[in-house]
Amino acid sequence: MVILEKVRRKLGPGVEFICDEFHAPEGAQVALWGPSGCGKSTMLNLISGLLRPNSGVIRVDGLETQRMSNGQLDRLRGERFGFIFQTFNLLAPFTALQNVMLGMRFSDTRPSKEWRAHAIHLLERVGLAHRLNSKPGTMSVGERQRVAIARALANRQRIVVADEPTGSLDPKTAASVMDLLLELCRENKVTLLLVTHDQSIANQLPERFDCTGLARETAQ
Amino acid sequence: MTLWHIAWNYLWNRKLTTFLTIVSVALGVALITSVLLLHYETEKRFVEEGQSFDVAVGAKGSTQQLVLSTVYFIGQPTGTIQYSDFERLQKEEEVLAAFPINMGDSYQGFRIVGTTREMLEFNWVNRVTEERRGTFDIDQGDYFAKPLEAVIGAAVAIESQLRIGDEFASMHGFADMGFSEHHDAKPYKVVGILKASATPNDRAIFVDYNSIYEVHDDEYGTPSLSGAESAPGANYKSGEEHSEVGEHAEEADHAAGEGHADEEHGHAHKQLTAALLVLESPAQRFEFKQRIINDYPNAVAAVPIDEIQQLYNQLLGTARQVMVYIGFLVMVISSISILIGLYLSIIQRKRDLAIMRALGATSGEIVGSVLIEAFWVTLLGILAGYASGLALTWGIGSFLASKIGFEVSVFRPTADMISAYSAILIMGMIAGILPAWQAYRTDIARDLAEL
Repeated sequence: MVILEKVRRKLGPGVEFICDEFHAPEGAQVALWGPSGCGKSTMLNLISGLLRPNSGVIRVDGLETQRMSNGQLDRLRGERFGFIFQTFNLLAPFTALQNVMLGMRFSDTRPSKEWRAHAIHLLERVGLAHRLNSKPGTMSVGERQRVAIARALANRQRIVVADEPTGSLDPKTAASVMDLLLELCRENKVTLLLVTHDQSIANQLPERFDCTGLARETAQ
Repeated sequence: MTLWHIAWNYLWNRKLTTFLTIVSVALGVALITSVLLLHYETEKRFVEEGQSFDVAVGAKGSTQQLVLSTVYFIGQPTGTIQYSDFERLQKEEEVLAAFPINMGDSYQGFRIVGTTREMLEFNWVNRVTEERRGTFDIDQGDYFAKPLEAVIGAAVAIESQLRIGDEFASMHGFADMGFSEHHDAKPYKVVGILKASATPNDRAIFVDYNSIYEVHDDEYGTPSLSGAESAPGANYKSGEEHSEVGEHAEEADHAAGEGHADEEHGHAHKQLTAALLVLESPAQRFEFKQRIINDYPNAVAAVPIDEIQQLYNQLLGTARQVMVYIGFLVMVISSISILIGLYLSIIQRKRDLAIMRALGATSGEIVGSVLIEAFWVTLLGILAGYASGLALTWGIGSFLASKIGFEVSVFRPTADMISAYSAILIMGMIAGILPAWQAYRTDIARDLAEL
């Protein structure tokens, strides 16, 4: 469950992110929708602890993250959040299998002896059993995003934050990736917060949150 | 998947840069390794050899020259002493064993050392550790029993192809100048070959010290020696010139016109290149040396180990320091290259670091992985440098073995080397601190720009 209450964050001279209220119950699939520059990405950064608010309250599964130390936030991210980026952000020196295992490496959610088997299972689930030892540079964009989805779910995450996950994909691949993502999140009862500027993508999710105007000019 | 594994993958991902950085570290390490190893090993060999004899007594002149020529067979002897002095030395209370040394001839560049069979049979031990030293152990044949019989060192046997029973004629001096005289009329017969001992003995030919007199007796004949002087100081000539008077003592005997018949008188006028002494205790060395200097006006005494350590400190010690400083300078430059390499790598992969942070990596883990990269590069540089240093030392050691008989055991890390490697490792880690700090300050949200 994710809750934002009266959250404010300065973004630059005269520009501030202001979100009075946001609520995503456990297992919800919410599209954070709005035009470019409206503050959707800032909202994801604040929810996942990559940014700290100047004021307000952010609750993740009942924990007030704005009070946490950097170390606590690191742990929270590793254990509860899965990230999917528009440009995949896989680590180039590592194979698909290693990228997924890295997702588990930085959290204590699973014993290390299980990492490999679980990563293989996830990659099989996203249809990449034949690409375990391939490096990102040798994979198609669709395959890379599937690896990113597998990585995002590697730690039994409670929340997956996805930033324009289909933004770099062709329509056919984008559709299959979206289907896979929604299916896996449902399967694992994971809360999905998906940022998109594309209303057709937003419409595929059961809930939508209009982010228009979250980032606004304020009097200095 | 450990941080070591992660760091290794990043190094492997930029192989060329990593390889070049490792090479730059290895260059400094190789230089330091070979300098320290060569210094340590040669000093150890010199000291081991120097510990065999407690005191060397020779003609007045340079004590270092005396020790180098008679103990290590390097360079020219200083001159001669009276045989009567040698006899006096034998009777000194502190002397456990005294061995005459006669030099001046050579064969194919190998020095012929005239001495007694007793020296070869003596129970040689390291005077400090009391370990037995097999420097005169026989491999084939036996020790010489009479003049004109020769026992050759292992390297002499290999290089000259001399075998037991072979005969060879000695040559005046220690190097064939093209016009050097050969004693063809009195050839030596090989009766024994020594085991290889990695000491100067490998490159020497040992004969009865009377052989030297006999060889020159025959060539110059008694009458021709009549003008020879018997005083050791006056008889000195350089080894290259090969004084038939100073270095071959029987000549003085003939100069006195007494001949061999009068053995007592003959001995009284014979001369020797030097006398090497083993004392009852090594603790007596310096006191005894001083007494010899006072009591024997025509001779000088030296403690071999003292002379060799002085030589090391004066000459090689400085050279060693300079080379080690150069090695460390190379290391500093290598450390800077580690720093630059890692720093650029951190700049290039800021996003990767941010992704890892997003995946839950702590700042400490990110810093750790960068420091481990510095550790890997330095460690591999040290290993590569050590291997290169061994190869370099082996090459130089082979050259030394062929020139002075000392073999350098290259596979023995010394305490100095371990200290140097530790210092290098620390320098490498220090070089990793700035990039690690840069990684520590990762601004995750900014570096993951599109999130």
